[in-house]
Amino acid sequence: MKKEINFILNGEKVNLEVAPGEILLEVLRDKLGVKSPKCGCNKGDCGTCTVMLNGKTVRSCLVLAIEVNDQEVVTLEGIMHSGLTPLQESFLKHNSFQCGFCAPGMILSATELLGKNPKPEKREIQEAIAGNLCRCTGYSPVIDAIIDLTN
Amino acid sequence: MKNYDYEKHVKGESQFVDDLLTPAGLLYVHIFTASVAHAEILKLDYSEALKSRGVVDIITAQNIPGENQIGGIIQDEPLLADNEVHFIGQPVAIVVADTVLHAKEASGKIIIEYKNLPVITDPRLAFQKGELIMPPRLFACGDVDNTWSLCDHIIEGTTESGGQEHLYLETQGAFAYPLESGGIKIVSSTQGPTQVQRAAAKVLGFPMNKVEVDVTRIGGGFGGKEDQANAWGAIAALAAWKVKKPVKVILSRQDDMRMTGKRHPYSSDFKIGLSKEGKILAYQATFYQNAGAAADLSPAVLDRTLFHAVNSYYIPNVSVTAISCKTNLPPNTAFRGFGGPQGMFVIEAALFKAAEIMGVDYHKLQELNLMEEGDSFHYGQKIENSTIKRCWDETIKKYDVDSIQKRVDEFNKNNKLYKKGFALMPVCFGISFTNTFMNQASALVHVFSDGSISVSTGAIEMGQGVNMKIRQTVASVFSVNIDRVKIETTNTTRTANTSPTAASAGADMNGKAAEIASRNILDKLIKVACDKLNTKDPSLITLKNETVFCNNKPELSWNQLVQVAFNTRTNLSSHAQYAVPDIYFDKDTNTGKPFAYYAIGSAVVEVTLDCLRGLYEFDSVKVVHDYGKSFSYVVDRGQTEGAIMQGLGWMTIEEVIYNENGKLLTDALSTYKVPDIHFTPKEIKIEFLETVENGAGLKGSKAIGEPPLMYGIAAFFAILNAMKAFNPHKEYKLSSPITPEKVLCEMYSENVTVPA
Repeated sequence: MKKEINFILNGEKVNLEVAPGEILLEVLRDKLGVKSPKCGCNKGDCGTCTVMLNGKTVRSCLVLAIEVNDQEVVTLEGIMHSGLTPLQESFLKHNSFQCGFCAPGMILSATELLGKNPKPEKREIQEAIAGNLCRCTGYSPVIDAIIDLTN
Repeated sequence: MKNYDYEKHVKGESQFVDDLLTPAGLLYVHIFTASVAHAEILKLDYSEALKSRGVVDIITAQNIPGENQIGGIIQDEPLLADNEVHFIGQPVAIVVADTVLHAKEASGKIIIEYKNLPVITDPRLAFQKGELIMPPRLFACGDVDNTWSLCDHIIEGTTESGGQEHLYLETQGAFAYPLESGGIKIVSSTQGPTQVQRAAAKVLGFPMNKVEVDVTRIGGGFGGKEDQANAWGAIAALAAWKVKKPVKVILSRQDDMRMTGKRHPYSSDFKIGLSKEGKILAYQATFYQNAGAAADLSPAVLDRTLFHAVNSYYIPNVSVTAISCKTNLPPNTAFRGFGGPQGMFVIEAALFKAAEIMGVDYHKLQELNLMEEGDSFHYGQKIENSTIKRCWDETIKKYDVDSIQKRVDEFNKNNKLYKKGFALMPVCFGISFTNTFMNQASALVHVFSDGSISVSTGAIEMGQGVNMKIRQTVASVFSVNIDRVKIETTNTTRTANTSPTAASAGADMNGKAAEIASRNILDKLIKVACDKLNTKDPSLITLKNETVFCNNKPELSWNQLVQVAFNTRTNLSSHAQYAVPDIYFDKDTNTGKPFAYYAIGSAVVEVTLDCLRGLYEFDSVKVVHDYGKSFSYVVDRGQTEGAIMQGLGWMTIEEVIYNENGKLLTDALSTYKVPDIHFTPKEIKIEFLETVENGAGLKGSKAIGEPPLMYGIAAFFAILNAMKAFNPHKEYKLSSPITPEKVLCEMYSENVTVPA
């Protein structure tokens, strides 16, 4: 049986019906057309589906859509207000991504980190990004971009 | 240099196959696969599954209108199993339904009965039983047999190197839909659109012109989407043809890991003979390649193992044999390095062991045997413009290897439970496909009447920056702002008969084709300018910064020139082909000049080992690499770091485990460990060797995709050195990956007690 849910997605009210088993990632991508969260493993291991739920990062492949009723969801599409954020600029400057598949999740994890801790140590950056896998870069341009921004 | 793709990445706007707009009425596929590794199919009953909710159709081998065959080099791989299955995860039936969930549900209702047949997972066992993909290959030079008696030291041994999951973050996938012409269009995540086109055409019984393949970008490939994207493209096409609707296939991560092949595991024997000074006089090796259940690219991978069996060393007498062994595992395939790393690992292991026995430093033995300018490889190609020694010497000097040695010795003297180790690795990797005919590419360039430029090539953008390199090349030919140049999707209707974007050669070959096509148009534009400016001498006309100069006087803007050309009915489009010149290889004698040039460099890797837990951390990876005239510092650095990380992973934590029944036990990211951000070496230093332009590469550069992966091999020997520092009395196995678990089992296996 479907249930109606209401939530805020990237600052806008969303209303739709979902089945109890539908996961947030599928609803975002297939029903709402928000494509930046990617499905890399569907088991919460890779981090490509990372979104923010009430300001905290979650793996949207592990969240049921009905769980976000009355909550606030932000995807990468929702963090840009007037052009790129300084963090995005820094990632761009450091060529932090190659194929780009991990980028949306990685940027949200880094955004959360900087929101809590504007001057993170390298170890703290590693902790914050540990759940986001990247197979192309070797991560050092990700670390460099965040460190560069905090200096 | 700004990479325009990256701006889309940071905005989350880059579109992968599963993000693209699809036609209305899209259906989804779940693939029903073999659950045993080798069996006869006695019964396949999908009558209940057909009645399951949302199911539109179920397709088996019997429904294939063309040939049930997707084998590339050897025609030995059915798209859908017919009568027999040969590995767990082999596609048997295609379930088409309105949702992924419904397709999956129905798949669970298919009944299959098997008569089990013997399962082989070990390549040496396959060899004993005569299960070979093709006859063994032998590359040789000199006279190994008569050299052993001249050697002061002869060392023999056995090595193992493990498989490696590609783990491109975007899993395999494609969607397809019927076209008005009766043909099929496939949008695929592939490194080889022509290969997908050929496979789908064969399965459908279509001429190739009825199958169109389009690729925007892919979310990582690493070789895993070179030939192994064919099946999913062909399955989508077959289903779309059968149900006459658009159909999408996206593999789940677990299915992808279970169903697709990986880097080939190798089991090898070596025998190396050296003079008392440490010069290698003879080298013999036999490589048992675990090919899996079908040939796929194994024969070509096998050849590259033989080409790179001596890495960067000059050896006068060589005899290396490689055997592609057929086992009941998913067909193993291309993976960055393409058999080269497996070959290099064995010669390094041989030298490491020789150094141990001779009581000399491993890196001194490496150094003593490095190739000199003009030396020949065992297949006859001479090394020209060699930077092998320069890179090595620079590594020793710049990173002060003597002081690393002292520091490591000092640390090891003062620490009981932590030990350090280091190792060096020279790399010399041939650039060109080893199948000579594949060394061709084509490009189609249009200049539109408003001055904008469109470029289509056979290259696939997968993060390696090939689009940026081609864009920059074309912009520089026309001397226009790079913003005018757009790289189109890779599409078989615009560029035909393409080689896959692989062998590190994508930018070199496709970039040169785009350069030639652009020059063809430029020549015509210069003629137009001559006519317009009333001069007969084209050498007086130059283009610079979007301006046409005649005799150094600015006369026309780029836009004006193009407009005049269009108005005078000039052809503003060009298609060009580039075939890599001067390469050849005789497959009977196994001699020739197979490579356009060599990619060269050296690295030193330092590690700290926690001897209580088996865990290790990389203190540093320091590299000196010859990039030719580097196209882009950031792109080359990024490729180097990424390749090193994959090489480190392959040698250390990435362990592909199948049980004796051929079942993959590491089929998720929770059981298969890939490097995460904590694995990043504490320090990575990359020195660009000052060198000359490389004429054979794009705009003087050198290919960079694969070669640095092999620096990772040093990690294995660095860890072994640290283990030796902890327990010097043990003879360690030359078996990678050396996981923390294996480190402990090896170090403590002979009643070694933990030091107090």
